Amino acid sequence: MLKIILPTIMMLPTMWLSKTHMMWINTMTCSLLISIFTLMMLYLPNNSCNLSLNFFSDPLTSPLLMLTAWLLPLMILATQQHLYNNSAPRKKLYISMLVFLQISLIMTFSATELILFYILFETTLIPTLIIITRWGYQPERLNAGSYFLFYTLAGSLPLLITLLHYFSSLGSLNILTMTINTKEMMLSWTNNIMWLGCMMAFMVKMPLYGLHLWLPKAHVEAPIAGSMVLAAILLKLGSYGMMRVTPMLNPLTEKMSYPFIVLSLWGMVMTSSICLRQADLKSLIAYSSVSHMALVILAILIQTPWSLTGAMILMIAHGLTSSLLFCLANSNYERVHSRTMMFTRGLQALFPLLALWWLLANLTNLALPPTINLMGELLTILASFSWSNFTIMFTGFNMLITALYSLHMFTSTQRGPLTYSTSNVKPLFTRENTLMLMHMAPILLLTLNPKTIMCLTP
Amino acid sequence: MNPLAHLIISLTILTGTTITILSSHWFLAWMGLELNMLAIVPILAKNTNPRSTEASTKYFLIQATASMILLMAIFLNNLTSGQWTINPPHNQTLSTMMLIALVMKMGMAPLHFWLPEVTQGTPLIPAMIVLTWQKLAPLSIMFQIFPSTNTSIILMISILSIMAGSWGGLNQTQLRKILAYSSITHMGWMMAVLYYDPNITILTLIIYIFLTISTFMIFYLNSNMTTLSLSHTWNKLTWMMPMVPLMMMSLGGLPPLTGFSPKWAIMQELTKNNNLIIPLTMAMLTLMNLYFYMRLTYSISMTMFPTSNNTKINWQLKHTKPMPLLPPLMTLSTLMLPLTPLMLTN
Repeated sequence: MLKIILPTIMMLPTMWLSKTHMMWINTMTCSLLISIFTLMMLYLPNNSCNLSLNFFSDPLTSPLLMLTAWLLPLMILATQQHLYNNSAPRKKLYISMLVFLQISLIMTFSATELILFYILFETTLIPTLIIITRWGYQPERLNAGSYFLFYTLAGSLPLLITLLHYFSSLGSLNILTMTINTKEMMLSWTNNIMWLGCMMAFMVKMPLYGLHLWLPKAHVEAPIAGSMVLAAILLKLGSYGMMRVTPMLNPLTEKMSYPFIVLSLWGMVMTSSICLRQADLKSLIAYSSVSHMALVILAILIQTPWSLTGAMILMIAHGLTSSLLFCLANSNYERVHSRTMMFTRGLQALFPLLALWWLLANLTNLALPPTINLMGELLTILASFSWSNFTIMFTGFNMLITALYSLHMFTSTQRGPLTYSTSNVKPLFTRENTLMLMHMAPILLLTLNPKTIMCLTP
Repeated sequence: MNPLAHLIISLTILTGTTITILSSHWFLAWMGLELNMLAIVPILAKNTNPRSTEASTKYFLIQATASMILLMAIFLNNLTSGQWTINPPHNQTLSTMMLIALVMKMGMAPLHFWLPEVTQGTPLIPAMIVLTWQKLAPLSIMFQIFPSTNTSIILMISILSIMAGSWGGLNQTQLRKILAYSSITHMGWMMAVLYYDPNITILTLIIYIFLTISTFMIFYLNSNMTTLSLSHTWNKLTWMMPMVPLMMMSLGGLPPLTGFSPKWAIMQELTKNNNLIIPLTMAMLTLMNLYFYMRLTYSISMTMFPTSNNTKINWQLKHTKPMPLLPPLMTLSTLMLPLTPLMLTN
C-alpha cells in the first residue's frame, strides 16, 4: 500500500515546489500515474493482499481504491477554470486540500483495523469542510458546511464508543480476523443499541432518507471538485463502512434492519419524485444521489451474495455517473453562472458534442442496459425481490421515476428552443471533453468486464 | 508595572504552585495555594479600568472562599486522622468538602460562574495564566485525594461542566469568554476519567495547556479580543490564518489533530469499564463546543470580511511582542496524534 500512499503524500511537495505554469501538468501526471498503481490491486490471487500490519487490499476495497485514485486527476482537471483568477499560492492550497483528502481516503479504504478506519473516516471531514466553506460560491456554504460536519459527527461519535466497546470485549478489531473473532449478537436492548451505534454513522454518510438533509446543501454549495468527491467517494465511505461492520453484527441485522429497509425503500421513491420538481440542476443531481444510495443501503442490509455484489457495482457506477453529471452541470455553471436548468435550454443545437456527453450521462443514470449501472440495479432488485416480493413495487417504481427525471434533465437542457439570453457561450474546451471522456470510458469499458468490480469473494 | 515588582510577583506565582505540587504536608499545600492566589491578584488588576478591578476582586473572593473550605477540611482531617500527610481522607464528608473546594478553585460546574467574567476582565496574557497555570495546583491535590471521593459526585460534576461549558459558549463573541467556556468543558473531560486512570487526566491537562497557550499567543500577536477583530486576520497576518482553524479543530477534538487523543483515551477508559452512556453524553455535548469553534473558523479563514487597507501595513512592521516557543507549541498541538501510544502509559 505504501506504493500508493507515499507518492500521494509526495504530491504535496511536488506541487508546492513546481513553477506556476507547470503546476497543473505536474499534478495531473502524478495523479494519473498513481491511479495506474492502484490497478495492480486488482490481481489478488489469494483473495487479499496483506503485506503490512496496518493496510491491506481486498476485492471489496480495490474497486473503491481505483475509483478514488482515478477521481483525483479528474478533480484537478475540472477545477482549472474556476480557480483561474486566484493567485498561485491559493491554487496550490486548493490542490493541497484535494491531495490531503485523497491521502486520507486511500488510507481509509485500505485500513485493517476499524479504529484506524474511524480516525481516517473523520479525517476526511476536515479537507472537505474547507473545500466547501472556503471555495464555495454562495453565502449558504457556511450553513452547508455546518450541516455536513455536524450531521456526520453526531452519527460517528456513537460509532467510536461502540467500536471501543467491541474492542474491549473482543480484543481486536482487525478486519482480517473479524470473521473468526466475533461473538454472536443476540436480541437484547443493549445489543440493539450497539447495532444502532455502529450503523448510524454510515447511515448518515450514505445518506439514509431521514438523515439526508446535509447532502443537497453540501453538494449544491461545494465547488466542482468538492461536489465530485462528495458524490463519488464520500458517500461510498458510508457503504464501505457498513459492509465492514455488518460481519460483527449477525444475527441481529435480520431484525434490526427492518426500519432502515423501509426508510430506504420509501426514500428512494420520495427523493426520485423530488427530482422531478427541481429547478436547480445541482440539487437535482444531489437528490438523485440520495436515491441511488438508498438502493445501496437496501442491498447491504439484505446481506445476500447477489445484493452485496450489486451494491459494489452500484457504488462504482454511481460514483462515475454522479461525478460526470456534476461536471456537466459545472460546465453549464461556468458559462452562465447560474444553476437554474431553465437558463440553458436547447443546447444540442449549439454544442452537439456536449449533447453527446449529456445523453450518455443521463442514459447511464437511468441504468440503461448493458451499462454497469443496470447490472448493479438488476442484482440488487432481484435480491430484494427474493427477500420480499413486495419490495418490487418500490424498486420498480423508483426505476421508472429515475428514467423520468433523467430524461427530464436531458430534454430540458438539450432539446427544445434555445434561450435568448445564452447567446455568447463558448463551446466545450478540450480539457472538458477529456474530463467527460475520462468519466465515461471506465463506465463503458467496465461494461465489458464487470468481474473486476464485482467483489465476488470479500 | 515596575519590572522588579513584576519579577517578584511572577516568581511568587511559580513558587506557590511548586510548593503545592511538591508538598506532602496539608498545611504547606494550602499555603502554596494562598501564595499563588495573592500573587496573581495584582497581575489580574494590571489595567486600571473598573472591569479589571472587578475581575480581580471576584477572583480573590472565590479563591479565598475555596481556600477557606479546604483549610477547614484539612483541620477536620487532622482531627479525625491525627496527622498532616496528604492522603485520601477516610471520612466521606471530608472528601466531598475538599472536592467542592477544589472544584470551586478550578472553575468547574456547578461553581463555574466566576470564570468567564474573570477571564474577560483581564488582558490576554493574565487570562491565559488563569486558564492554564492555575489549574495545576488544585489538580495536583485532586490527584492525591481522588481514591476516597464519591465517584457519582465526580462524574456528575464532569457532566455538568461539559454541559455548562458547551451551552454557555454558544452565545459568545468575545474570545476570552469563549476560551473560558472551553476551559470549563475540558476540565469536565479531565474529571471524568480521574477515577479510572489519572494518568489520562494529566495527559488531557497537558494537551489542553499546549492548545490554550498556542491559541492565546496567536490572539495576543494580533491583539484580538473579539470575533470581529479575528476576521481581519487575512489582511494583517496571512500566515496566521490557517493556524487558528487548526487550533480550534484540535480543541474541538477532531481527528487527526492532537485534541482527539485525550478524548479517545478517555472514551476508551470509560468503555472498558462498561460505562457507555456517560462517554456518549460527553461526546455529544462537546459537539456544541465544536460548533462555536467552527464559527470562529468561519469568520477567520473561510470568509473574507471587508477591512480597510490600513491593516495591510501591519505585517510590514517587526513584532515587538514576545512569542516564546510558538512554532513548537503549534506543532505539538496539531500533529501529535500518531504519538498517542507514547503518551498513554498503560
